[in-house]
Amino acid sequence: MADSEVLHVGIDLGTSRSAISASNGERFVVDSFVGWPVDMVAKKVLKRNVMIGHEAVANRTMLDLHRPLERGLLKEGSDKDVEAVRELLRHLLRLVGVDGNASNVRAVVGVPAAALRTNKQYLRNTMKGIVDSLMIVSEPFAVAYGLDALLHTLIIDIGAGTTDFCVMKGRYPTEEDQRTLTIAGDSIDGHLLKLINERYPQANVTLFMARDWKEKHSFVNTPPDKVVVTAPVNGVPTQFDITNEMRAACETLLPPTVETMLDLLSRVEPEFQERVRSNIILSGGGGLIRGLPEALQDALKQVGGGKVTYMQDPVFVGSDGGLALALDAPDTDWEKLSA
Amino acid sequence: MRAGHIDRVKRRALRQAVTENLETIRGLPPRGVRPNVRLGRLWLRRVSLIIVPLTLAGSTFLLSKPVVEPMFVVQRAIPHKAGTPPTQMQLMQYEKVDPAVLPLSVRRVVIDAGHGGTDPGTALPTLSEKAVTLDIATRLRKLLLQSGFEVISTRENDQQIPLRERAHIANASASDIFVSIHVNSIVDHTNEHGVETYYLGPTRDAKLTKLAAEENRESGYSLADMRKLLDGIYADARRDESQRLANTVQSQLYGGLRNADPGLQNWGVKRAPFLVLVATEMPAILAEVGCMSNEKEVAMLHKPEYRDRIARALFDGIRAYALEKR
Repeated sequence: MADSEVLHVGIDLGTSRSAISASNGERFVVDSFVGWPVDMVAKKVLKRNVMIGHEAVANRTMLDLHRPLERGLLKEGSDKDVEAVRELLRHLLRLVGVDGNASNVRAVVGVPAAALRTNKQYLRNTMKGIVDSLMIVSEPFAVAYGLDALLHTLIIDIGAGTTDFCVMKGRYPTEEDQRTLTIAGDSIDGHLLKLINERYPQANVTLFMARDWKEKHSFVNTPPDKVVVTAPVNGVPTQFDITNEMRAACETLLPPTVETMLDLLSRVEPEFQERVRSNIILSGGGGLIRGLPEALQDALKQVGGGKVTYMQDPVFVGSDGGLALALDAPDTDWEKLSA
Repeated sequence: MRAGHIDRVKRRALRQAVTENLETIRGLPPRGVRPNVRLGRLWLRRVSLIIVPLTLAGSTFLLSKPVVEPMFVVQRAIPHKAGTPPTQMQLMQYEKVDPAVLPLSVRRVVIDAGHGGTDPGTALPTLSEKAVTLDIATRLRKLLLQSGFEVISTRENDQQIPLRERAHIANASASDIFVSIHVNSIVDHTNEHGVETYYLGPTRDAKLTKLAAEENRESGYSLADMRKLLDGIYADARRDESQRLANTVQSQLYGGLRNADPGLQNWGVKRAPFLVLVATEMPAILAEVGCMSNEKEVAMLHKPEYRDRIARALFDGIRAYALEKR
């Protein structure tokens, strides 16, 4: 990147995956994992000082592996986690062509709706020296902005760490417009693993395997197919039917999501409730759970019905929204928002 | 929607997002709390106009004659005609004011069952904090009503009530005291279990700061925001009353439960910046009535009779405090 060019980026810093969209047209997504070789032997084998993303997960046995975000926020209190998130951000910026020079990078980063100002300050401090200017916004707001859905819309963003809800009322959302649940992708993984271990105690299953299976086979209500997976038993690959476990784990998301959705809808001004019910947008990786939009629509029938639309490009919908914000913000504002 | 209208809405939302970021950079609290801070400061300024002359007058009076009675006791108030300001001589008749005379009695009690709805608090496979706190709160409510107290509950079923709304319910009801019920979980020390009671105040204990941050997570305020709020509140006489209430409740809580649970530890009365205590306008405490990280305690919390014992201990504490105030 030439020194004189300004690069605008939108970053969705996620608990499980982080995505970046840049004004030069580049878009990337990486797993939010950072690892350092545990010893000299590992360093010699891996030939790297640090590994990031899928590569880090694949080589996790040789790494001091860190997942620096928890419930969509930076973990506090650990220098290693701070360093991990800085590595992750530098990596994302390198992918879109930033060569380590922080100047002329203007970033918009999405955080969970319920993030406190102290969390935002912490993120701002962590990003010092990595970007030139920084704006931090509520993740569902970034999604809504990118979709031009700022009025009479309910965004439900189901990530790994949090499920964020935000009613868009034509303004920057206030705390009354937003909710955050910690029941999200990670809690489904944990639940699935527990159910599999209960039913098949002989199977050797890890959380990573459970997460992988969820991403391929998740569903609620009626299963599209039987969910049959392979896991080792005493070293022998063995097939297991986990259809019921998958359904039970995924359906733990439904009651709190439905309750929060209906609660937020009931707080919308009465004359706009029907419009908001007809404009519910499901984003984030959790939206890929098959049958979820239909299940939410079924729940809406008790309040007069509604329509839930699922974003076809859930991975980048947040970072694209962030990029749109970054490009629309005038230079005078960016000058005030130096990192 | 027309493109022009979309642009206007986007511009406005973007402007608000930038403003919110600038406020975060400057360390300002969220907008919702700032008028309260202003009002608090205004109130403190107004109060000083009354307290300072009273204190000066009292000091002058005390210096002019030997002190034979203990300080901090109102000896007598000289009545004067309604609608006319007290004269300088009448003011001179006052000694220092004991804050204890201000809350004349305790009639109306707010019971706040911690967590609820989608916020389970500490959640175990067979037991959740929200269910335990609600059960104890329901039992406590019954005991208080039977004894002639008026009771306001922030929640009577499994629903999520934001901390701000809990404080609003308490303040709108003009209640005399506020008692929030929670159950501890200390995952690093699963062998230990005890009871502790908090009142509002600053703490240097990193663990308590973290605990308060956890409990305040759903509030919308940050600790940084709260510190600004607390500047005005820590000096409040309400803190002394909250401390007294906390001492009385903690004493009854430990005394009432240790017979049933000989291993129970007394972790005492502590200060911490829990938001629900910041925003309430009456003496307020938060009682951690057990410890769900301890297996033995969990087994006991499963038993209705033990939860009843906790409710009774809380009731004894509230009643003892109320009797002191008569």
